[in-house]
Amino acid sequence: MHQVIQAIILGVLVGGIYALMASGLTLVFGIMKVINVAQGALVILAAYLSYALFSHVHIDPFVSILIVTPAMFVLGVAVQLVFVRSLRGPDGSELSLLVTWALALGIEGVLSVIFKTTYRVTSPSYADSSWSVFGYRISEVRLFAFVASAVLLVLLSLLLTRTRFGRAVRATVQNPTAATLLGVDANRVQTLSFGLGVSMAAAAGAVYGVIYPFNPGSHYDLISRLLSIVVLGGLGSLGGAVFASLGMGVIEAIVAVEISPVWASFSFFVVLLAFLLVRPQGIFGVRERVL
Amino acid sequence: MTALLKLEGVVAGYGRGDILRGIDLELEEATITCLVGPNGAGKSTVLKTLSGLLRPREGTIVLAGEEISRCSPAELLARGIVHVAQERSLFPLMTVWDNLLMGGHILRERPLVRKRAEAIAERFDLVRDRRDERAGALSGGQQKLVEIARALMLEPRLILMDEPTMGLDPKARHLMFEMVAQLNEEGRTVLLVEQNARAGLAIAHHGAVLDNGCVALTGPGKSLLDDPRVAELYLGGAPAAA
Repeated sequence: MHQVIQAIILGVLVGGIYALMASGLTLVFGIMKVINVAQGALVILAAYLSYALFSHVHIDPFVSILIVTPAMFVLGVAVQLVFVRSLRGPDGSELSLLVTWALALGIEGVLSVIFKTTYRVTSPSYADSSWSVFGYRISEVRLFAFVASAVLLVLLSLLLTRTRFGRAVRATVQNPTAATLLGVDANRVQTLSFGLGVSMAAAAGAVYGVIYPFNPGSHYDLISRLLSIVVLGGLGSLGGAVFASLGMGVIEAIVAVEISPVWASFSFFVVLLAFLLVRPQGIFGVRERVL
Repeated sequence: MTALLKLEGVVAGYGRGDILRGIDLELEEATITCLVGPNGAGKSTVLKTLSGLLRPREGTIVLAGEEISRCSPAELLARGIVHVAQERSLFPLMTVWDNLLMGGHILRERPLVRKRAEAIAERFDLVRDRRDERAGALSGGQQKLVEIARALMLEPRLILMDEPTMGLDPKARHLMFEMVAQLNEEGRTVLLVEQNARAGLAIAHHGAVLDNGCVALTGPGKSLLDDPRVAELYLGGAPAAA
């Protein structure tokens, strides 16, 4: 039992970070119907930026969030304006898959040239420290990463629910034409939201690099997990993404300790498929009805 | 009476096709004008062009002496033109209150938005009583009422209403026509597209019959009701009894 509870603690801490990564993906899909398959590569790019700041300027990876996040927000806005905005019409969603996949490969290529393919990890002095709470080990970096993710998700949620911009975002998600008729500049909302989604990936990347070793190709594994999370949570649902991320973290951790680490990743996909058979729209997704 | 809005030779459409092929129309201030015509005549397209969803390819639209043909929806809202769309246009997962606040989206002053929302909640019992409920939980008629309440957040001078009674039961339809008349009594100009042409023309000061993207006939609402050509084409037979 002790092992299972330890696994649950670990799963929740890891799930929190995935929730941050997935929040950007699901936000962008909800608003623009764009599946940004470059989200994993953007996480890895941010991990490298944080790693470089730590290695060369000795900036703590958690402090680097304050630098990496706004920088990548600007990058996200630029990507939306240059590559994504023009993808309109009935084929827009499919084309966006190709364009953002090309972006992911481009990021991977550039990182491979600069950093080679050697695995890196950002290792602050407290990287291996942990606390013991009622006999359970809690890794300092994982707890910090979880807290940072939780704080950012709360801020994102407050932005979406308590501000004029957030109301415009939610309105655009639910009825873009009606939002336009009320004076919402849908183009502006889409651009800023894409930037916001990328900045969430950036913040998650900075903490990801402290916990997991990464190389330029690490985005393949990441994006498959992130897509599974947003599908399980319900495409476009922020709450669903958080819920599914925590579920994934806990399921994988329990399977790893109770069965075998080899089956950990696979177990989540089994749960995903089983769940989708019963509820194809995901946990918080809305089933579309054709009148 | 002075013309609040004037359309001259307006051509507009979707893609490469033209739906409106030279619309000429004048709306007098503080009146109700009802657009009638067969499906595909361009009634809804006129409203979409006036609210900025569509840009006219040719022609001019003048509001109170100011050319507004190239204005964005936000700029038109700022000039007092609001559009209550044909389709359900509430945000179903947002509360009734948040939907109302969205009506004042272009207003920057938060206290002003709150003040107007509170005033509208006083006027509409439905908004006051169900402000914290999700808009999607309301009935069709209630949703349409909230859409109108939301449109009033900007204290508009011209309200474009696209088939406001569509899908409503007879009681709700009657209430909706009363609401249109009430808005007009407050001095607002209303351009109404109504599938029930007989009922729409009955409450309208003026009517215009659209056919194939052009204005085929205009006149006082009641005289159009009595016009045998209109009756034959769009009212299903004999002129309405006075």
